[in-house]
Amino acid sequence: MAIVVFKDDNIRVKVPVGMSLRQAAMKTGASIVFGCRVGDCTECASHVSEGMILLSDKTEKELKALEMIESDIADLRLMCQCTVRCEEGEIVISQQF
Amino acid sequence: MPGVQAALSPSVHFIGAFDPMIRTFDIIMKTANGSSYNSYIVRGSEGVCIMDTVKKQFADQFFERLEKQCSYDEIKFIVLHHLEPDHSGALLDLMERAPQAKLIISGRAVMMLKALVKSEIEYEAVSTGKTISLGDKTITFLSTPFLHWPDTMSSYLHEEKILFSGDVFGSHYYDERLYDDEVGDFSYAFRYYYEHIMRPFKPYVLQALKLYKKYEIDVIAPLHGPILRMDPQSYIDKYEKWSTGAKYKKSIAGRKIVSVFYMSSYDNTLAMAEKITEGADAVDGIVASMYDLASLEEQNMIDLLEESNAVILGSPTINGDAVKPAWDLLACMPYLENSSKIGATFGSFGWTGEAPDMLQDRMRWLKFRLPVDPLKIKLIPNDQELMQSFNFGREVAEITMGKMVEMEL
Ligand SMILES: Cc1cc2nc3c(=O)[nH]c(=O)nc-3n(C[C@H](O)[C@H](O)[C@H](O)COP(=O)(O)O)c2cc1C
Ligand code: FES
Ligand SMILES: [Fe+2]
Ligand SMILES: [Fe+2]
Repeated sequence: MAIVVFKDDNIRVKVPVGMSLRQAAMKTGASIVFGCRVGDCTECASHVSEGMILLSDKTEKELKALEMIESDIADLRLMCQCTVRCEEGEIVISQQF
Repeated sequence: MPGVQAALSPSVHFIGAFDPMIRTFDIIMKTANGSSYNSYIVRGSEGVCIMDTVKKQFADQFFERLEKQCSYDEIKFIVLHHLEPDHSGALLDLMERAPQAKLIISGRAVMMLKALVKSEIEYEAVSTGKTISLGDKTITFLSTPFLHWPDTMSSYLHEEKILFSGDVFGSHYYDERLYDDEVGDFSYAFRYYYEHIMRPFKPYVLQALKLYKKYEIDVIAPLHGPILRMDPQSYIDKYEKWSTGAKYKKSIAGRKIVSVFYMSSYDNTLAMAEKITEGADAVDGIVASMYDLASLEEQNMIDLLEESNAVILGSPTINGDAVKPAWDLLACMPYLENSSKIGATFGSFGWTGEAPDMLQDRMRWLKFRLPVDPLKIKLIPNDQELMQSFNFGREVAEITMGKMVEMEL
């Protein structure tokens, strides 16, 4: 289980490998905003300030969507499009600009 | 068509359409004297740029005004500051008449474009800082998302210091005298528009104002109502004031507000509410108060909800549902900004007790953060249950004050 910290909400939660950050956010009540939930609308875009490598790779679709909203997308992810892929470590997430 | 004084500046003209008869806008807004769909043309030494179009039914007015200002083959760019139909209604028609023109939209608009126009069209997506040139005229785009559509952007014409602000700074107010120093008193409409369209997006308003601050602005050209040229800064100041901070002294003093809303027939849910409020108020830095939904007007609900850092909502279960005033309270949420408010639900019940769960479900969709399970107590709460209510209030208040919540999934 990796630890996910939703910084805007002071939530610290152990998340099993394979679970999406959308599920983690919904289950903990974190305030990440979602729209379409399938990677189209970019409403769920959030900054990952730590632990990016603990998340699944960006798919072509996610890359494309992110590039449309920001020029520097290095620490950006769509919360509905990534899953936890490592047993250990901490992932820190914030949606505030 | 009566002649309007179309020139905002030497190179910019109004080519929008007037809709004096409209009374209800977007289902949710009333307007006592119609509105306008503003569109503008910017002329440079190397062609013209059209800023937005109008609602489909008003395309004739738009094209008539446009044709007075330019021929279709001069159009180099068409900019849509957001894709809502009241401004994109004449787009396809315009693109057919000016096939050489390049359509410019924001990045977030790309996904919506197809769903809206139902055909493949060429476009260029821009974000903050992107600039286009009309020879001696330069236009820079500013991304101002969620005001009020996700894809909203603004643009700035450098040479004439004009801000094309999209729906931001708009009013549903029809007056062909067009400029703020010529028209009647539209301040109520300006405020009303903010309240109904921009208020839910306060943080984004502030973000946009920050971008606007980088530019000297002589004229604001919004998409509805009067063009603002008398004292543009005063409108910016109003938006800033309405979007900033707390109205009440308590939150200015850095304290957080927990509001307990309840409804009760035999005082059982009331007894819980009292203990919850007491428990929340016992936490340092919290001001907790309770409100009986039976006597709360809608406007007061909206103000209270907006000021609350945490909303704790109680209802008995009556015929398998929460009571209507509780739903009415939640129905106010779309009118206000909900930046990570904390929510919780409770209630006394007789045999099934689903009301708090139903409210909690609804609050999840309304994007509340719901860190604790609903508190349900069968009929009259006993001492231990009153203690439980006190602790429930305290827990929600502590989380409101920033207590880290540890969980495992
Ligand atoms: C008309 C009526 C319908 C009710 N329907 C339900 C119901 O569907 N499910 C339930 O759990 N309790 C139901 N109750 C019981 C109330 O939820 C219970 O009496 C509760 O303690 C009332 O709380 P309060 O009067 O303090 O607000 C009903 C009560 C009344 C008067
Ligand atoms: S919710 Fe739409 S992209 Fe994630
Ligand atoms: Fe709009
Ligand atoms: Fe509009």
